Amino acid sequence: MNKKNWRVFQELFRLRFHGLTVFRFDFFAPFFVDGSLFAIQLLAFGAVYANVDRIGSWGRGEMILYIGTFSLLNAVNMTIYFFGINSIPYKVRSGELDLYLSKPVSPLFRLTFENISPGAVPLILMSVCIIVYGIASLQMTLTLVIAAAYIFWLVLMEILYYEMEVLIRSVSLYVVSMARMEQIEEAGLDLCMKLPGIALYGVYKVIFYLILPYGIMATLPVQSMIGELNLQRTLYGIGVVVLFTAFTCIIWKNGLKHYNSASS
Amino acid sequence: MRKYWEISKTYMKTQLVWRADVIFNMIFTISKILFAYLLWGIIFQNKESVGMFTFHGMLSYYIVSSFLSQLEMSEGISNEIHERIRNGTFSKYIVIPAGIERYFMAMELGIVLFYLVFDFAAAVVWIYIFRIQFVFTTQWRVIVCAVLMAGLGMIFMIQLNYFLGILTLRFEGIGTFLMIKNNLVSLVTGSIVPLALFPETVTGILRLLPFYYVTYLPAMLFTGQCQEEAVRGLVIIGCWCVLMQSAIQNARKKYFRKYDGAGI
Repeated sequence: MNKKNWRVFQELFRLRFHGLTVFRFDFFAPFFVDGSLFAIQLLAFGAVYANVDRIGSWGRGEMILYIGTFSLLNAVNMTIYFFGINSIPYKVRSGELDLYLSKPVSPLFRLTFENISPGAVPLILMSVCIIVYGIASLQMTLTLVIAAAYIFWLVLMEILYYEMEVLIRSVSLYVVSMARMEQIEEAGLDLCMKLPGIALYGVYKVIFYLILPYGIMATLPVQSMIGELNLQRTLYGIGVVVLFTAFTCIIWKNGLKHYNSASS
Repeated sequence: MRKYWEISKTYMKTQLVWRADVIFNMIFTISKILFAYLLWGIIFQNKESVGMFTFHGMLSYYIVSSFLSQLEMSEGISNEIHERIRNGTFSKYIVIPAGIERYFMAMELGIVLFYLVFDFAAAVVWIYIFRIQFVFTTQWRVIVCAVLMAGLGMIFMIQLNYFLGILTLRFEGIGTFLMIKNNLVSLVTGSIVPLALFPETVTGILRLLPFYYVTYLPAMLFTGQCQEEAVRGLVIIGCWCVLMQSAIQNARKKYFRKYDGAGI
């Protein structure tokens, strides 16, 4: 982030913070809503593991780690960019995107950081607690190398998460209505939040590992931590992120060329 | 009664306007079935039964549970009341020559009757696609109890959502709470995992709550389980409907006079 962008970021954060503090309960809404979602998942899988020892090769500890990892990816998403990126289709429909294109700062940069949600920060802390609980349940020794590899995969998968969100909402630059795309995203995320990638096979694996790669988002970081990640999976994970980065850039940039201002 | 039947018919016809929504709602019922198929598929690879379920018994449960929860669309009522009170357009329901609660009941009936056919068709398609050996009770007494219970469960959910909507007059912004409620309801109605997998003490507590009888117990009864709970369940959910109705009357008396039509 260069000096100009940093100043823009600070200003956007200040404006957003002022706006959020007007409604005090809503300030922590992302924490309460998503926190309850992942707490419920822990309870649900607690019930499953009360009746079975393993789901595939994963025991209770791995599943807690998986839920914590997905929760953390989602928490960072909610804190930093979700509310900004989510408004893209509305801004395209209403023509409000004009204001972003006419400013001397990247429109995507402003959209990404203009709706930061500090109220979701407790969600990050809660996710870290779930991850620590998962590690404790696994009774594993956490070395610096393992932690570094896990953080590397977290960063990589957060980028993928961001790109998926931008990609799906960029469709609004090409078509009139994109409610179906958001429904597909919701269904895919909802499924992969509950179901680790190890349970996928055949055509389901192709869908959730390649076409809508939500299936690898929390799976690969967990696999890196528990030592299930081989060279092939590592290269595949990096490859998918590179592919989606290129794809997102192309779709977004071409989409802006299709944008015809208000009522486009 | 005739005017309410007209309201139901109007809402039935209204659904035809959103044909794509109907089709996509049908398609997206797959996400719950797919989750169950993949999760329990991997678990049942090494097990014959989990709790009281066989693999096909479990999938049959998810088919019925998903069908019932798909039909239960009353969360829109609380959102509608919440939005309209906040923007001052709730007057629409006050000036209509019909009881507001009954209006929402009639509206819900129209929507449910419309979706009944499509959701049933979707359930049959998923049974065929996933090659599920569908387990279904043959006892008429149990089927009648399950149908009545599902009906009472839906009435209770309409009452609950109407009640929560009215609370906007007291608490002004309840959007966050409604989202948390939806998360909790998905767990306690057994939509994520069957409640039978929870420890007996937890199930015992849940049996006292109405949510146990909304989708979980009807789904279990339809799939030939928990038959001894059928009559008791009907009595309990019936009592909850009466209780909720008195809570609604109280809330109406207390808060309706606060509505000034100006919005919040």
